[in-house]
Amino acid sequence: MSEAAGDAKLEVKQASKEVKESENAAEKYSAMTVSKNSEMNMGELSSAFSAVPTHKPVKKQIQFVEDKQEFSRFPTKTGRRSLSRSISQSSTDSYSSAASYTDSSDDETSPRDKTQVNIKGSSDFCVKSIKQAEFGRREIEIAEQDMSALISLRKRAQSEKPLAGAKIVGCTHITAQTAVLIETLVALGAQCRWTACNIYSTQNEVAAALSETGVAVFAWKGESEDDFWWCIDRCVNTEGWQPNMILDDGGDLTHWVYKKYPNVFKKIRGIVEESVTGVHRLYQLSKAGKLCVPAMNVNDSVTKQKFDNLYCCRESILDGLKRTTDVMFGGKQVVVCGYGEVGKGCCAALKALGAIVYVTEIDPICALQACMDGFRVVKLNEVIRQVDVIITCTGNKNVVTRDQLDRMKNGSIVCNMGHSNTEIDVASLRTPELTWERVRSQVDHVIWPDGKRVILLAEGRLLNLSCSTVPTFVLSITATTQALALIELYNAPEGRYKQDVYLLPKKMDEYVASLHLATFDAHLTELSDEQAKYLGLNKNGPFKPNYYRY
Amino acid sequence: MAKQHSCSNSSAFQQPHWMKIQLNDQKQEFNKRLTKASPHSLSQSMSHSSTDSISSAVSSKSSEDESSPQDKLQKTSKGLSDFCVKNIKQADFGRREIEIAQQEMPALMILRKRAGGEKPLVGAKIVGCTHITAQTAVLIETLVALGAQCRWAACNIFSTQNPVAAALAEGGIPVFAWGGESEDDFWWCIDRCVAADSWQPNLILDDGGDMTHWISKKYPSLFTEIRGIVEESVTGVYRLYQLSQVGKLWVPAMNVNDSVTKQKFDNLYCCKESILDGLKRTTDIMFGGKQVVVCGYGEVGKGCCAALKALCAVVYVTEVDPICALQACMDGFRVATLSEVIRQVDIVITCTGNKNVVMREHFDRMKSGCLVCNMGHSNTEMDLASLRTAELKWEQVRPHVDQVSWPDGKRVVLLAEGRLLNLSCSTVPSFVVSITATTQALALIELHSAPQGRYKQDVYLLPKKMDEYVASLHLPIFDAHLTELTNDQAKYLGISKHGPFKHNYYR
Repeated sequence: MSEAAGDAKLEVKQASKEVKESENAAEKYSAMTVSKNSEMNMGELSSAFSAVPTHKPVKKQIQFVEDKQEFSRFPTKTGRRSLSRSISQSSTDSYSSAASYTDSSDDETSPRDKTQVNIKGSSDFCVKSIKQAEFGRREIEIAEQDMSALISLRKRAQSEKPLAGAKIVGCTHITAQTAVLIETLVALGAQCRWTACNIYSTQNEVAAALSETGVAVFAWKGESEDDFWWCIDRCVNTEGWQPNMILDDGGDLTHWVYKKYPNVFKKIRGIVEESVTGVHRLYQLSKAGKLCVPAMNVNDSVTKQKFDNLYCCRESILDGLKRTTDVMFGGKQVVVCGYGEVGKGCCAALKALGAIVYVTEIDPICALQACMDGFRVVKLNEVIRQVDVIITCTGNKNVVTRDQLDRMKNGSIVCNMGHSNTEIDVASLRTPELTWERVRSQVDHVIWPDGKRVILLAEGRLLNLSCSTVPTFVLSITATTQALALIELYNAPEGRYKQDVYLLPKKMDEYVASLHLATFDAHLTELSDEQAKYLGLNKNGPFKPNYYRY
Repeated sequence: MAKQHSCSNSSAFQQPHWMKIQLNDQKQEFNKRLTKASPHSLSQSMSHSSTDSISSAVSSKSSEDESSPQDKLQKTSKGLSDFCVKNIKQADFGRREIEIAQQEMPALMILRKRAGGEKPLVGAKIVGCTHITAQTAVLIETLVALGAQCRWAACNIFSTQNPVAAALAEGGIPVFAWGGESEDDFWWCIDRCVAADSWQPNLILDDGGDMTHWISKKYPSLFTEIRGIVEESVTGVYRLYQLSQVGKLWVPAMNVNDSVTKQKFDNLYCCKESILDGLKRTTDIMFGGKQVVVCGYGEVGKGCCAALKALCAVVYVTEVDPICALQACMDGFRVATLSEVIRQVDIVITCTGNKNVVMREHFDRMKSGCLVCNMGHSNTEMDLASLRTAELKWEQVRPHVDQVSWPDGKRVVLLAEGRLLNLSCSTVPSFVVSITATTQALALIELHSAPQGRYKQDVYLLPKKMDEYVASLHLPIFDAHLTELTNDQAKYLGISKHGPFKHNYYR
C-alpha cells in the first residue's frame, strides 16, 4: 500500500542520510528519528504523510481540524508545486520576491559537508557559500530602502535596546527583507539564530551576508527534507545558548522545539507566529491545554490583513496580468468571482483602468456592497460568453468549471487570485481533445478542437505569487509587526500574557501603521488634551475599540 | 410633571449625543423624563442612527388649524375613532406620499409578497414609536400585511407627516401623532397607544427608547406578555444595554442599529452621496480642481473622500488614528495636519466625532470664500462660539448658509451652523430608510417566531443570516443576480448553502 511504501522510503532516506552526516549531528539526528518512530505508530505516520499539503488546500485543513495538522505530526516539504499550493494567504508575503542569483545546482556538495568560516572566524552557521556575502549585502541594502519603518524603529529604539538579553530563534523565509528584520532585532539588542521555513525560498547570498555579520544562519536554497529538520535542530540545539523567544512562520520550529526540547519552553517568554497554518496549530494546542507559553498571532493584525489582501492584490492583479499577457484593460470585460477584500482590490484596480467589471457573489451583503460600488452583480453563466478575463478570488472550489470554460470566447484569459488552486477546475481540461501549449513561463494556451484558445495563467495557482512579486513595502508591514510583537512579549510584565494565543494589542498595530506613514510624508494630527478627554481616549491611542474593523 | 423637568433636562440636549454616552452617570437614565424642546436641540441630539428617518418629512403646515387634535372628534370613513391625528381629511394626500415611498422601498414590498402567504406575524400586537413618515407608513402597512395588529405613536414632536398619519388612520391603524405636539401631547399619545381597552401589546418597536421607558414606568405588568423590543437608535440601544447591565431588562431586545448592512448604509454610502448633494444645494459649488480637506477618515470620511475624488477635487485628509491614516495614504489621499493646508483649501469638511477640530485660529487663516461644513453627528466639531465676537459680521444668505465676514473683508461660508450637513441641507434617500425598515421588520418577525428560550433577557444583534436576508431583499433593485453554492462547494467551505456566509466578526 502507498502508506507502507511511503514509510519505507522515509526509512531508506533517513538511513542513507545518517551515513553521510558528521558524527555529532548524526547522533542527534538519529536520536530524533528513533524517537519519532517510537512515538508514532504506522497509522499515525502514514496519516502524517497524507497530511502533506499537496493534497489538501489550506482552507480545507482548517475545516477538518481533527484529522490533520496536529502538532504531533511531521509536515513534509516535498515538491515545489505542493509548496505553492500550501502557501497560506498569510504567508504569501514572504515567499515570492525571493530572487536568487546563483543557481543552487552549480555546486553539488551539500553545505552540511562544507566547513566555512566567516570573517570573524566563526563557523557557527551553515549556508551555501559564505563568499556570496558581499552580493547579499547589496540585496539587503536595496530592501532597506523600502523598509524605512524598520530602519526608523532601529533609530527610535536603539538607545534603549528593548531586546537586550533576548535570544531569538527564528524560522522564516530567508530573503533580503527578512534580513532587514533580523538585523533590526540584532540592532535592538537581541541574539538571533535563524533557519528557513521553506526548502526553496532561501536567498543564498542573503544567508551568507547574515552569517558574515555573525548571525547564526542555517539555510540554503534547495534543502532536502532531512536538511530542513537538521537546520532547525542546529538552530535550537547549541551549546551554551538557550533561546527565550521563538519567531515562527508555519509552526515547524515550534513543533520541533515542542517535540524535541520541551525543556526549552521553561525559558521561553513567547512565540510570535505569522502564518494562518501556524496560528491555527497554536489555537489547537491552546484548546487542548498544551500551549505552555504565550503566543502572539500577528497574522490577524488589521494592518497586515489589509496589506496582504486589499492593497497588495489591488496592485498585483494588474502587474500579474501585464507581465504574463501584456493585455490592455481599457474597455475589456472582466468578471471577478468573489467580492471579499481580494475581490474589492481587483475590482477597484480594473475599474480605474477603464475595464468593464462584473462581480459574482454568494453573500448578499458583499453583493450589495458591489452594487453600491457600481459593479454589476451577475451569475458567471450570464456573462461567460462575453467576458475577456475571468479572475477568481472566492476561496471556494470549482468556481469555474469545464462547462464554463467550454463556453468562453476565443482568447479569453483565466486566472486565480484566491489562495488555493481549487477555484478553477483545471483537471477537467486535461482531456485528450484539448491541446495544451506552453507559450511563456506560467502561461498556457488550451486549444479546443475548433481552434478556440483559452489562456490559462499559472495553471490556476495564485497569480500574484506565480507571476508577479510582492512589494517590499507589504513585507515591511509584516516584518515590523513581528518585531513589535517580539518586543511586546519580551518586555511585558510577568502575568500580562498567560499561556494562550493573543492578538497584537491595538496600540502596537497602530504603531506599525504610524511607522509607515513617514514613507508617504503623511502628517498625523494629534489630539489636544481637551479633545482626548471629550472622546474618552488616551492621546496616544488606541483610537478605536477592538471590534472596529476599519 | 413633565414640564417641571423640562428645564434641567433640556440641558442634556445641549450636549452632543456622544458626550452623553461618555458621561452616563449624569443624564440619560430611564427614570428621567426626556423632553422634546425645540427643533434646534432636537437636531443636536439626533443620533447617527436615526438620521434616516427624519429628514424627508414633508408636512403640511401645522399652524393652519389651531385647535389641538386631542380635542377633536374625528372618524374614519369606516366609522372608527380610535386614533388621533391632525386632520383625517388629508388621508388621500397621504396615501399618494406612501405610494411614492413604496417605489423606493421594494424590499418591503418583496417581503410582503414572499411572506404574505404564511403571515409570520399573525398574533403579533405591535406598539410602535418611530418617526411617522411615508417610509414608516410602508413599514407599518407591511407589518399589518404580515398579520400584525399595530398601534403607533411618534418618537419626535416635529417629524410627523400629518397626511401620512391621516392615511394610516384611514386604513384602520390607530395612530396617535401630529406634527408640532407639545411635551404633554407627546406622552399622551404614547399613553393612548399602550393603554387601550382590551388590547395588550406583545412586541415593541422603538426609536429612542421613549416607549420602552413609558411602559416600564407606567405599565410594568405589560412586560409579562411582551416577547421582545426592537430598538433602532444609538440612544435607545445604549439605554437598553444599561438596563441589561443592572439586570432590569425583563424581555429580550434586538439591537438593529448595529447590523452590518444598516451601518454601511447610514454612514459610508449615505454620506458618499449626501456630501455632494448638501454642498450643491446650499452653495451651487463646482468641485473639479477644488482643494478640499476632510477631517477624519472613518466610514463617513471614506465616503466623502471617494465622492469628492470622483468629481476630481484635490482631497487632503487629517487623521489621528495611524491605521486610518495609512488607509487614506493607500487610497491616494495626502494626509496632512489642518494647519498645513488651511491657507490653501476651498472647502473644509469635518467628520471626526470629536470637538473643536476647526478652531478660531484656523478660521482666521482660511482664504476668502472658503466653505466650512460638518458631516459628523454632532455640532461640536467646529468652535463656532469663537466666531461670535464683535469684529466678525454674520449674515444669513440662504437658509442654512451663513457668511461670516472679517474686518478686512474676508468671508467664510458656514453651512447649517456646523450641524450635520446631510440632515440639514439634503435628504436621506428612501433606499437607506428601506434598509432600516426592512431590518426592523425582520427583527420583529424573528422575535415573534423564535422558539421559547432562544432569546433570554438580554440585548441581541440581529442574527447574521437576517442581516444577509435584508441585503438580499435589496438586490433586485440593482437587478443583481446572486450566485448559489453547489452542495459540493458548501461542503468544501464548511458553510450552509443559504448562509450565514461569514463569521460574526467579519466586517
